[in-house]
Amino acid sequence: MTAVVGKPTKRIEGLGKVTGSARYTEDLQLPGMLHARLLLSPHPHARVTRLPKAAALGVPGVVNVVTEEDLPEGVSSNLLARHGEALYSGHPVAVVLAEAESAAADGVERLGAEVEYEVLPAVLDPREAMRDGAPLVRRDAEDDEEAAAHSTVDVKGGKETKPRNVANTYTFRRGDVELGFKEAALVVEHTYATGRLHQSYMEPHATVATLDPVMQAVVVYTSTQAQFYVKAQVAKALRYPESRVKVVAMTVGGAFGGKFMLLEPLAAALAVVTKRPVRVVLTRREDFLMSTPGPEAEIWLRTGVKRDGTLVALQAKIVFDAGAEPGAPASIAAVLLGGYYKTPNLLIEALEVLTNKPPNGAYRAPGAPQATFAIESQMNIMAEQLRMDPVELRLRNCSGTGDPMPNGRPWNRMGMRQVLEALRDHPKYRHRERGEGIGYGVAVGGWTGGVESASACIRANTDGTFQVVLGMVDITGTATTMALIAAEVLGVPVDQVQVVIADTDQAPYAGASGGSKITYTVGPAVKAAAEDARRQILAIAAAELEARPDDLEIAEGQVRVKGTSQKQIALAEIARKSMSFGAKYAPVYGNGNLPSPKGSPGFAAHLTKVRVDRETGEAQILDYVVIQDVGFAINPPAVEGQMRGGAVQGIGWGLLEAMTYDDQGTLLTWGFTEYPIPKASTTPPMETVMVEVASEFMSFGAKYAPVYGNGNLPSPKGSPGFAAHLTKVRVDRETGEAQILDYVVIQDVGFAINPPAVEGQMRGGAVQGIGWGLLEAMTYDDQGTLLTWGFTEYPIPKASTTPPMETVMVEVASEFGPFGAKGVGEPPVIPGGAAIANAIADAAGVRLTSLPVTPRRLLEALREREKVS
Amino acid sequence: MIPAAFDYHAPASVDEALRLLRSLPDAKLLAGGHSLLPMMKLRVVSPGHVIDIGRIQALCGVREDGRALVIGAMTTHWAIESSPLVRARAPLLAECASRIGDIQVRNVGTIGGSLVHADPAADYPAAVLAVEAEMTVVGAEGRRTIRARDFFTGVLSSAVRADEILTEIRVSALPPGTGQAYLKFPHPASGFAVVGVAAVVRLRGGRCEDARIGVTGVGPTAYRAEAVEKALVGTTLDDRTIAAAAEHAADGVEANEDLFATPDYRAHLARVFTKRAVRAALERAGRA
Amino acid sequence: MIIRLKVNGEWRQADVWPGASLLHVLREHLGLVGSKNACEQGECGSCSVWLDGDLVCSCLVLAAQAHEREVQTVESLAEGPRLHPVQEAFLEAGAVQCGFCTPGLIVAVADLLQHDPAPSELTIREALAGNLCRCTGYAKIIDAVKLAAQKMGNA
Repeated sequence: MTAVVGKPTKRIEGLGKVTGSARYTEDLQLPGMLHARLLLSPHPHARVTRLPKAAALGVPGVVNVVTEEDLPEGVSSNLLARHGEALYSGHPVAVVLAEAESAAADGVERLGAEVEYEVLPAVLDPREAMRDGAPLVRRDAEDDEEAAAHSTVDVKGGKETKPRNVANTYTFRRGDVELGFKEAALVVEHTYATGRLHQSYMEPHATVATLDPVMQAVVVYTSTQAQFYVKAQVAKALRYPESRVKVVAMTVGGAFGGKFMLLEPLAAALAVVTKRPVRVVLTRREDFLMSTPGPEAEIWLRTGVKRDGTLVALQAKIVFDAGAEPGAPASIAAVLLGGYYKTPNLLIEALEVLTNKPPNGAYRAPGAPQATFAIESQMNIMAEQLRMDPVELRLRNCSGTGDPMPNGRPWNRMGMRQVLEALRDHPKYRHRERGEGIGYGVAVGGWTGGVESASACIRANTDGTFQVVLGMVDITGTATTMALIAAEVLGVPVDQVQVVIADTDQAPYAGASGGSKITYTVGPAVKAAAEDARRQILAIAAAELEARPDDLEIAEGQVRVKGTSQKQIALAEIARKSMSFGAKYAPVYGNGNLPSPKGSPGFAAHLTKVRVDRETGEAQILDYVVIQDVGFAINPPAVEGQMRGGAVQGIGWGLLEAMTYDDQGTLLTWGFTEYPIPKASTTPPMETVMVEVASEFMSFGAKYAPVYGNGNLPSPKGSPGFAAHLTKVRVDRETGEAQILDYVVIQDVGFAINPPAVEGQMRGGAVQGIGWGLLEAMTYDDQGTLLTWGFTEYPIPKASTTPPMETVMVEVASEFGPFGAKGVGEPPVIPGGAAIANAIADAAGVRLTSLPVTPRRLLEALREREKVS
Repeated sequence: MIPAAFDYHAPASVDEALRLLRSLPDAKLLAGGHSLLPMMKLRVVSPGHVIDIGRIQALCGVREDGRALVIGAMTTHWAIESSPLVRARAPLLAECASRIGDIQVRNVGTIGGSLVHADPAADYPAAVLAVEAEMTVVGAEGRRTIRARDFFTGVLSSAVRADEILTEIRVSALPPGTGQAYLKFPHPASGFAVVGVAAVVRLRGGRCEDARIGVTGVGPTAYRAEAVEKALVGTTLDDRTIAAAAEHAADGVEANEDLFATPDYRAHLARVFTKRAVRAALERAGRA
Repeated sequence: MIIRLKVNGEWRQADVWPGASLLHVLREHLGLVGSKNACEQGECGSCSVWLDGDLVCSCLVLAAQAHEREVQTVESLAEGPRLHPVQEAFLEAGAVQCGFCTPGLIVAVADLLQHDPAPSELTIREALAGNLCRCTGYAKIIDAVKLAAQKMGNA
C-alpha cells in the first residue's frame, strides 16, 4: 500500500503556467542582446554563388552577417549550409544579426533579394533518389559515393549493393518466409504510406546564448528536451571543453521529440563571434521550414495466416524518407512491425533514404505510428477475410513476455494481451452500434520503452523539507512525479518536497526527456536517492534516540520508534543537527561527505602599527601582521583570503564602523555615503603568517554525513508499453468526411504514479494520433517547397474537432520501473492512424492504405468502388 | 515575422481617410487587419502607408433605414453575429458571420474588410450575393452603389477602386415565407470555406417563388448559381428536384485547386452543399 | 511613435515603431511576457488578450491600433496569491501540460464565461476553436471550463 504515489496530484509547476509567470526562452531579455534572423534557401539544392553582405549591413541596426565559413576555424553551427551548399528548401545559408528584430528582418529581406544561387539537381522522392543515376542529395556524399557503391547489404540471403542515396539499411530475418507463405491459407499483400508530420509544439524553437566572462564559458538558455546532450554537442561544435558550456533548460513549450537540439550550437557560435548575447527564435514559418519533423514512410507488407488465424509468415520492405541527413527511425519501425505478433518466419528490410528535404527528427514514438498503421491495417484485412473477430485474431497471435522481437531480443514484461482483452470486453466494443456511415476501428500499438542512465540527489533543509535536484527537463509533469516518489520513500507529505531542475553546471546527469523514459529512469534514481537520504536520517535519529534504525519510522514530520510517539525527533531537528553552525554532529560542508569532528579551536595574533595625529585625533594604520593557526591549509590561497578579509573587517570594527540610529529609531548610517567600510585606499599593507597545528580530529570516517543522498543508475531494461484504441466513426458518403464520434484509449501504464498526468499523456497522444489518421501531412511541391507551413495550412486537431474520449488504464506492473510504472508518452499516439483507417473501412467499405484519410481521398476511394461495383 | 516599415495614419472621418488615400502614394486601408496584417508580416505586401479606418465611428454599427438594413463597413463579424437586428432582418448574414474563423477573429475582422479583400474562400461573399445586398462606396467623385453580383471582380479584387472606401452594406428586407441558410465546409486548419453555400428560397402556395444561391470557395470569385436557381423556381422543392438542381451548382465554373481539394472535388462539394443548403433554407421557410 | 494604452488598469507608454504588434509591445516593451508568441498569424490563440473588453489575438493587432485603448492580459487575472477561478480550475482539472498555450486559453475561457456562464460542451469546443493546444487533447481543458463555470456560479 502506498501513501503518496498513485494519488492524483496537482502539477507543482502549474502555478507559473496559469498565471503567465513561467519563463520560456523567448521571455528572456539580456542587456545588449542581438537578434538573429536566418536567410533560408528557396531551393531544395543549390550553392550560394554570391552573398552581398553589404545589402544587409546597409540596414540601420544590422551589425553582422554570418555564414558557416565566417565562424572561427573548426567551429560549426551544426545548422548553416556548409560551403554555401543548401540541401533543402529552408536550409539556412546565412544569419543576420541586428540590434532589433525589425532590423534583422529587414536585413534578411534585402539580402534575400540580392543573394544568388547556382541551382543544383535535387531529388525529393525516396524512390527516385534510389534509382541509378539519380542526383546525389549532398555533394559532399560524392567522395563517399565510390565506397558506398561497393558497400553491400545483406538482403534476402544474398549480398546486394546499397542503392544510391541510401543512408542506412537494416535487415531482420527469422525462419524461412517462403516456406511460411506455403503453409498459409491466406496471403495478404498491401503497401501502406504515411506522411511527414510536424511536431507542432506551441512554442517555436528558441535559444539565447551569452558569454560568461568570469567563467570564460558560453551559457545557453534554450527550449530543449535534453540539456546534457545540448551541452556536449555545443562543446563539440565550439571545440570547447564541456566545463565551459553551461546549458540552462528553460520551461519548454512542447517538444514531442522535436527539441533535442537545433539552434543551440548556432546561437553559441554567434555569441562567441559577436561577444554579445544572441537570441535566435524561429518564426512559426521558419520552424516548419527548417526544424526536424517526423518522416514519411512507405511500407510494403505481405503476411500469411493459417485458416485458424495463426500467423505463419511476415515479409516487409520499409522505406523512410530521411530528408537531407541520416537519422530516420527505420530500425524501430522494423522491430515493431515484426514484433507485435508471433511469427515463425519473417524477413524485414528497412531503408533510410536521403532526399533534399529537411532532416528528420523524432516525433512521439518515432517509427511506431508508421509501422503500426501497416500491421494493424493488415490484421483487420486478414480478420475480415478469415471472418474472424479482429480482436480475437490479434489475441491469437500477440507476443508475450519473452517472445523474440525481430532483432532477436526478448520482450520484457508486457501488457499487450491485457490491453487487447480490456478492449474485447469493453462495452463499446461489445455493443457496436450500426447506422448509416457509422463504423468502428481497433488497433493496438506498443513501444519498447526508452532506457538511459540517470542520477538524482536529495538534500534536507534545516526546516525538515527536502529538495530533489535533477538534471532532467520537465515538460509533462514529471517533476511532480519525482516529488511523489521522493515523498513516498521519505515518508513525508508531497508538499514537503521541492523539485529543483538545475542547469548542467549544477545538476546530476539525466538523459533526454524523450522515449517515454523519464519516470522510468529518473524515477528509480530519485527513489534510490530518497532511500539513501532516509537511511542517513534514520541513522542520525537512531543515535539521538538510542534506538536501532530498523525500529524507526518516519511519520508526521518526526522520526519515531515504531508504534510510539514517546520517543521521537523532528526531521527538522535531524537536519539542523547535520547542518548548522556549532552543530553537535557535522558541518554541512564536506568533501566526499566529510564528518563533523569535535570543535578544533583556532587562534590568530595580529600586529598593528599606527600613527596618531594628535591635532586631528586621527589614527592611521601603517602596517599590519596577521598570524593565525589554521591547522592545515588545504587550499592556502583560500585560507589567506579568509585571514586578510577578516582582519580588514577588524579594522572596521576598530576604527570605522557603527550603525547609528536617531532617537526615533531611524537608521542614519544607511548606504556607503554614511556607513564607512574599509576601502582600498584606506587599508594598510598586511602580512599573513600561517601556523599549522594539526587538528587531532581531522579525519575521514565522520560520525554523520550531511543528509545528501545520491541515486545513480545505469540504463534499466526497457518495459514495453501497449495501447489499444477503439474508434467509432461516421462517414459522410457525399463529402468523404469521416467524423470520429467516439474514442476509447486503453493502455497498459504499468502503474500510474500520478493518474491525471498519465491520463493527460493518453489523451494528448491519442489526439495526436487523430492528426495522423485524418488531418496531418507536410506537403512539398515539385520544387521541394513546403506548401503546408503554419496552422493556416497544416491542420492540427482543434477543440472543436476532437471527439469525446474515454481512457482505460490497464496496469501490468513493470519489473523495472518505480512502483511498476512504465513509460506512457509514446504508446497512445501509435495505434490511432490504424484504428481510424480500420473504422473507416468498417463504415464505408473502402480500405485506405495511406494516411491521412482526408475527405478528398476517401471520396475518391468511395467513387472508385462505385465504379467497380 | 515583422512587416516592413510604413507610416501609420488614423483618420477620424471618412473624408479625412479619402484625402489621405488620394495624397499618399502606396497606401493601404486597414480595417480589422486580419487579412492585411498576416500578408504584411510575411512581406507579401509592404505598403508605405497604412490608413487605419477602424477608428471611424461612422463606419461602425447596424441600423435600419426604412425597409433596409444598413451595416457599417467597419462592423465586426461578432457585432453582426450577435445583433438582434441582423438576426431578425438578415439571419443569413448573422449565420454567415458566426461561421467565420474563431471568436478572436470575429471580434476584430470586419465585413467591409472581408468584402473588399475578396478572398475567394471568404464567407460573406456567398451571403451578400444571396441576399442581393448593395454596397455603398465613396470616392473623389462622390458616392455610388455596387450590386453584390457586380462587386467581386476576380481573385482578391473587387469593384471598389483604389481611391474609394466601402462605407456600408444595405440589405432589403425579405418577404415572409423566405428561408435562408449558410452551410460551409471549413478548411481543417484555416477555417476558410473550401466551399460555402448561401441559399435563400421563398415559398408561395407550396411552390418556390424565388431562389438565390450564392457560392463561395469554388471559383476565383463567389458567384450566383443561376442554373440551380432556375431549376428550383416553380417547383415544389421536393428532395429529388433539389438534388437534381444542385447538380448544376458548379456549372461553367473553373474550380480552384489547392492541397486540400482538387477542382473536381471542390465542384462535387459545391453540389453537395448546395443541396444541403437549399434543404435547410426550405425547412426554415416552412417555419417562417 | 509613442503609444499610450491602459494595460491591466494602469496607463503605460511605449516608443514603438508602427509595424510592431500589440503582442510585441506587451512582451518586449512592457515586460508582460505571459501572452505567448506562437504562430504570429492569428491561428493559435496563444497571444489572446482583451482589447476594450473584446478577446483578440494580440499578434494581429498593431500596437498603433491599441493606442488610447484598454488592454487586459493574463497577468491581470490573479489578485496577488488569489487565483482567478479559471486558473484554479485549470490546475485542479489537470488542464496544463507544457503551458505555452495556457495563458491564452485562460483568457479565452474567462472571456467565454463572461458571455455564457454555463456553456454546453459544444459551445465550449466552438468557443475554444481559436486556441490550439498540442499536449492535452483538450478534454481536460473542457473539464476545466466546466469546473470554472461551477466555481463562478457558486461564488
